[in-house]
Amino acid sequence: MNKFPLSGVRVADFTWIGAGSFTTKLLADFGAEVIKIESADRLDSLRVSRPFKDGVEGVNRSGYFSDRNSSKQSITLNLKHSEGQALARRLISVSDVVANNFTPGTMEKFGLGYDAVREIRPDAIYLAMSMQGARGPDSSYLGYGLTIGALTGLQHVSGLPDREPAGTGTNYPDHIPNPCHAAFATLAALRHRRRTGEGQYIDVAQTEPTIALLGPTILQYTANGIDASRTGNERQHATPHGVFPCAGADRWIALSIRSPAHWNALLDVLEASGWLRDSRFNCAEQRRESRLEIESAIQRLTRERDANVLMAQLQAQGVPAGTVRTARDIVEDDPQLRHRGHWVTLDHPEMGNSLYNAPPFRISETGVTPSRPAPLLGQHTDEVLHGLLGLGADEIARLRKDGALR
Amino acid sequence: MSRALTGIRVLDLTDESGQYCGKLLCDLGADVTLVEPPNGSSVRHRGPFIDGRDDGEHGIAFTYFNAGKHGVCLDLDSVQGREEFLRLVANADVVIESEKPGKMVARGISYDQLKRINPAIVMTSITPFGQTGPYAEFESDDIVCLALGGMLHLGGYHDSYPIAAGGNQAYLAAAQFAAVATLLAIHSVEEAREPRQGRHIDVSVQECVVMGMENAIQFYDLEGVVRRREAGQQRWAGTGVFDCIDGQVYVMAGGIVPARFREANVHWLIDEGVEGAAQMLDPRWASQDFQTTEEARRIFHDLFAPFARQHTKEWLYHEGQSRRIPICPVNTPADLLGNRQLNARGHFVDVQHTASGKAFRMPGAPYMLSATPWKAPGPAPLLGEHSRQVLARAAGTEAAG
Repeated sequence: MNKFPLSGVRVADFTWIGAGSFTTKLLADFGAEVIKIESADRLDSLRVSRPFKDGVEGVNRSGYFSDRNSSKQSITLNLKHSEGQALARRLISVSDVVANNFTPGTMEKFGLGYDAVREIRPDAIYLAMSMQGARGPDSSYLGYGLTIGALTGLQHVSGLPDREPAGTGTNYPDHIPNPCHAAFATLAALRHRRRTGEGQYIDVAQTEPTIALLGPTILQYTANGIDASRTGNERQHATPHGVFPCAGADRWIALSIRSPAHWNALLDVLEASGWLRDSRFNCAEQRRESRLEIESAIQRLTRERDANVLMAQLQAQGVPAGTVRTARDIVEDDPQLRHRGHWVTLDHPEMGNSLYNAPPFRISETGVTPSRPAPLLGQHTDEVLHGLLGLGADEIARLRKDGALR
Repeated sequence: MSRALTGIRVLDLTDESGQYCGKLLCDLGADVTLVEPPNGSSVRHRGPFIDGRDDGEHGIAFTYFNAGKHGVCLDLDSVQGREEFLRLVANADVVIESEKPGKMVARGISYDQLKRINPAIVMTSITPFGQTGPYAEFESDDIVCLALGGMLHLGGYHDSYPIAAGGNQAYLAAAQFAAVATLLAIHSVEEAREPRQGRHIDVSVQECVVMGMENAIQFYDLEGVVRRREAGQQRWAGTGVFDCIDGQVYVMAGGIVPARFREANVHWLIDEGVEGAAQMLDPRWASQDFQTTEEARRIFHDLFAPFARQHTKEWLYHEGQSRRIPICPVNTPADLLGNRQLNARGHFVDVQHTASGKAFRMPGAPYMLSATPWKAPGPAPLLGEHSRQVLARAAGTEAAG
């Protein structure tokens, strides 16, 4: 039985850029028929963002776009054209989910707000994921994952205490918190509809999932009055905790030493001698008090070692240790990700064979996914208008000539 | 009002790598029971603590991630504990667990064994590296998963060692994907005709971290470029952190943003009388490649940084946004509690804490569902608070059945 969980669920997908596209990718990779509505006049900015296949620019060549849009179909509609809007409404009338991540008011401008959609499709699940939610004084504000990381406090709590906040170095909220929460809410709404026949409106502010993850940090303020800040790699529960240099340029190993057994095994593997061997350091509190000296000493002992060899030696002794992998390492050299089949190579019509992330979990009785690469811009326009909406070739040609399908 | 996940009964056996998964299910109406060992979940003793009290009932992470769940203590390594657990499984829909691979088998409560009691059961297993494979037995922690999943290499400054994001983001990533996977599996089970067949979900924390690599994988695959850390400098000219009077702002007026946002930012500086700002309207600035040159970064910095330093983060935020520029304050936790937008949405909720008898404000709905709203949870369970009630009910069901 290799049926995908969401086969039979159709999504009219107006999302673009990061968080929205990643949300509908999760649905598409598990069998939903996701039809992405695009426009050559208003390109998804990731289509024109690096990296490009072989470094050559082109709307069908961006890996930033392709990885977020596996398993989807693409049609182009001019939503500023009345006939383009009419086609969008027809598509919505046969869709289960309608998704967008525009600033509030944009879908309404196209006649595609929730009230209008409910008229056409009363049981639609309408997913809106603007930056700050549909209402409130700052609801029209603009943002991206990086600025959302700042607004939500994640940036502030990541980095060195005596330097500017560092954050994750990525548009993190776009990649994990917002897509996961939006997909989870959509799946919950689908269940409610399955049981009651009732659709609903889902309002995801792209700030609130990341804030939810920072619950303990918020509670540290509201319960104890402590406005927490960044602590580098230092953590209360483990010492040493952080990264240590290894042989080669920019090579590191991450360690988290939480017990006397971890500590003694670390010293054994590193062949440490002298004051580090003082038995008082079996006590976590004592290690914390001498943290800086201990870390310097450990750094001197790891510096000449190969990170992967050291990881294997430490793990063999039960020490939590992991090589700090680069993007190249996790693609080429990680036996565990290879074992899980995380990297999927798909043959894209213009990019050829290129790499896609599989979803990071396996569900038994469920097939391997994704199996279809990102769509070319408008690749499925004719197919969807004809096959799904029943338009004839002449009608499609006329709409194209009139500029409704740009 | 009915709730989206009404009727889904969840047994949550997880530690810190999974308790947020149970919270997501619980807050939309699932009936979640945290099954703890007799001496309690390790998360109870994870600091910091409310009022500094490490007595098992004041852990901040425990209080937050388990609000609204029922609490049962069972010794799953004992014969009796296993039997009581299996009685619970007979009437459950989901088991979430984060034991080392093989541990559930050794206890006689693996997926295959649970399936015999309840063929429709969904079991969600969250482990650092997955159930099988060369790293399956590895020891781990949040930072180890961040390292092996690649995100750690991108965190930190261009001239520093790698620095982990705050707040256990690797474990939380896994808990979030686990929640999505669980609802996908429930969807399959509930849609199926009788007899219903359950699912086993295998979540790898490392693999979830990989999803946070943004475009770094594709940069390597398509252009052979290995991305590095870049905090402490602008990512593109116009995109980065800038100091102001009372902290910092993050401005994103370069890179993947449309030209109109970048240009709006230049016009802002011109309007504010920043001399030399107009040069950034030159056509060469439209290119993302030019924006990554030292020259472009230096020019932007020399024009924007002195301007930003004269203003507060709130002023820069609202003034910049009124000009349609993606700029945000770097908020602290205290700033968030005072944020007018979050407060207008009623984001924060007060949740009772049993041991202190007080209520504490914490993040509320991460989404608003019009027909089946998110609901503020009750308190986290005291150790074993619902043991008698839940186990008696399970025993009664069996006797009656």
